[in-house]
Amino acid sequence: MSTHGPIISVRDIKRSFRSSKKEEGWKGTLGLLLKPQYTEHEALKGVSFEIEEGAFVGLIGANGAGKTTLLKILSGLIPPSAGEARVMGENPFDRTLPFRNHIALVMGQKAQLWWDLPAIDAFDLLKAIYGIPEAVYRERLNTLAQLLDVERLLKTQIRRLSLGERMKMELIGALIHWPRVIFLDEPTIGLDVVAAAKLRDFLREFNRREKATLILTSHNMEDIERLCSRVLILRSGELIYDGTPHGLTRQGERRLRVRVAAEPSIEEVAQVAGLETRFVEADPEHVAGEAQLFFLNVTSDGLMGALQKLMSRYQVVDMGIEEPGLDTVIQRLFQGTA
Amino acid sequence: MNRRIEWRLAALKNGFQDATAYRIEFLIEVLGQAAVPVVTQLVIWYAIFKMGGAQSVGGLDYTQLVTYSLFSLLFSQIRGGDLDFELAEMVRTGALSNYLLRPVSVVEFIWIRGSAPKLFLSGICLLIGMVAAATAGLDPTRMAGAMFLALIGNIIHYQLSAALASIAFYWEEAYSVLMVKNLVVGLLSGELLHLGIFPDQWRWVWEALPFHLYVFGPTQYALGQWSTGLYWMKLVQAGAWLFMGWLMIRLSWGLGTRRYLSLGG
Repeated sequence: MSTHGPIISVRDIKRSFRSSKKEEGWKGTLGLLLKPQYTEHEALKGVSFEIEEGAFVGLIGANGAGKTTLLKILSGLIPPSAGEARVMGENPFDRTLPFRNHIALVMGQKAQLWWDLPAIDAFDLLKAIYGIPEAVYRERLNTLAQLLDVERLLKTQIRRLSLGERMKMELIGALIHWPRVIFLDEPTIGLDVVAAAKLRDFLREFNRREKATLILTSHNMEDIERLCSRVLILRSGELIYDGTPHGLTRQGERRLRVRVAAEPSIEEVAQVAGLETRFVEADPEHVAGEAQLFFLNVTSDGLMGALQKLMSRYQVVDMGIEEPGLDTVIQRLFQGTA
Repeated sequence: MNRRIEWRLAALKNGFQDATAYRIEFLIEVLGQAAVPVVTQLVIWYAIFKMGGAQSVGGLDYTQLVTYSLFSLLFSQIRGGDLDFELAEMVRTGALSNYLLRPVSVVEFIWIRGSAPKLFLSGICLLIGMVAAATAGLDPTRMAGAMFLALIGNIIHYQLSAALASIAFYWEEAYSVLMVKNLVVGLLSGELLHLGIFPDQWRWVWEALPFHLYVFGPTQYALGQWSTGLYWMKLVQAGAWLFMGWLMIRLSWGLGTRRYLSLGG
């Protein structure tokens, strides 16, 4: 397997799906039975990028943006309709033995271990499947169980574990063969704050220690912010951003927090500050009759000017300057307003 | 140990652990599957011969049919289970993704895990069969050959069923096809009825298919109704079906997995 150049390379990948369409009611049921109709959905529309070995990349996008489809193509589960993907120098869909020996796919919504058995029985089977020597297996299992703090649970039936504990076991099952490339599809879904934080710590440590390449999809921006040095953003099947999480916030952009002793509309505040409406947000928890809070996304250069204009028009009772959060930026990107 | 042998042994062990995780459930399943078809046959034969006054059915008398029913029970336990339904469900729900990315053949892996309890049962049935054969004045060594044929029948059954389950790649659902297959196999394997009672002109139907090698063939050999020569001929026939089954799986799953959508994620 090739180790030169990028470990993942994707060139103009497209993927479409065909599905049957059913109208509501009896007419729709009969129609489906007698003359089914199909619709074509384009999940990926020509995506290209490269990833270097050892990178921790976040793949984000709204529901239906094409994230999971992309992961399925890269892990070799489905082929692209057009374009080319190479992972470790191979076409993933060939699913060669060396390829399968070096990748892992963790899907937060799908259990891979057997519910009625304790995790240790599943790990023993995986050890045999991947041909891991006994001593190496014991060392890895100890390391992973310690990092994830589940040593005492290895002999407990999977179905008796909590969601977070199960997810940790799934991760051990996915990593016990020390894969070079790991695809994580929403691994923190459904986890509480503490469990999610522990999982994040573990993933960061695994990436640092083993130099494994990790691709993570998540709706939790904290996962992305804390783990990924690079972010790929998909919108309706198109790659609309490829860069660092910090690069998402426009160069020199600031978030101006202003509370005014009045209740003007967003449009009015935007007009007074000399900004487009999309750069102004109102506090959604505003209580009628009280001073209203607004957030203005402005450049460093335009900050003083906007503030002066607002002060000349309204009585400003409180103000502050913040870095815009990743959540806000992503939300704007998803809505296509950035 | 060689990795190829090691993972297969580990899968067998894991499958047995999984099947017996709930001991009572396991025992009830085994006993229920064994008792219901046999009791049904015994009731039917009693009604026909003892209450209806029949002297023979298809040239077989009451004792022959009852003996067949009792001995066939040992081999019907070994016939394939519902692993084909499991495969089809995995395709439909996307659970197949968990296995496709592991460095083993998914079809073989599911068979090994699923057949572990069958192998365990075959050992028990072999012991019971040998004791029963000795008691009934039959040759107990024939029981070993009969069980071997039944085990090959189990593999052929799984191969054909797995190939049929690949329909799920095209239609998403293969339940009805597999249900119909089970009904046909139940009838033509000799599990429900002695195949000797079929009309002569229909004989070619079950002879042309491999299903009679699952239960009818092993029972006939164990009861001394098949000569050793016929047994070897049937083993060769079973070998040909094994090869055919292997080809069918290669083809159906090779094409099917190209259409796999990995839904549900």
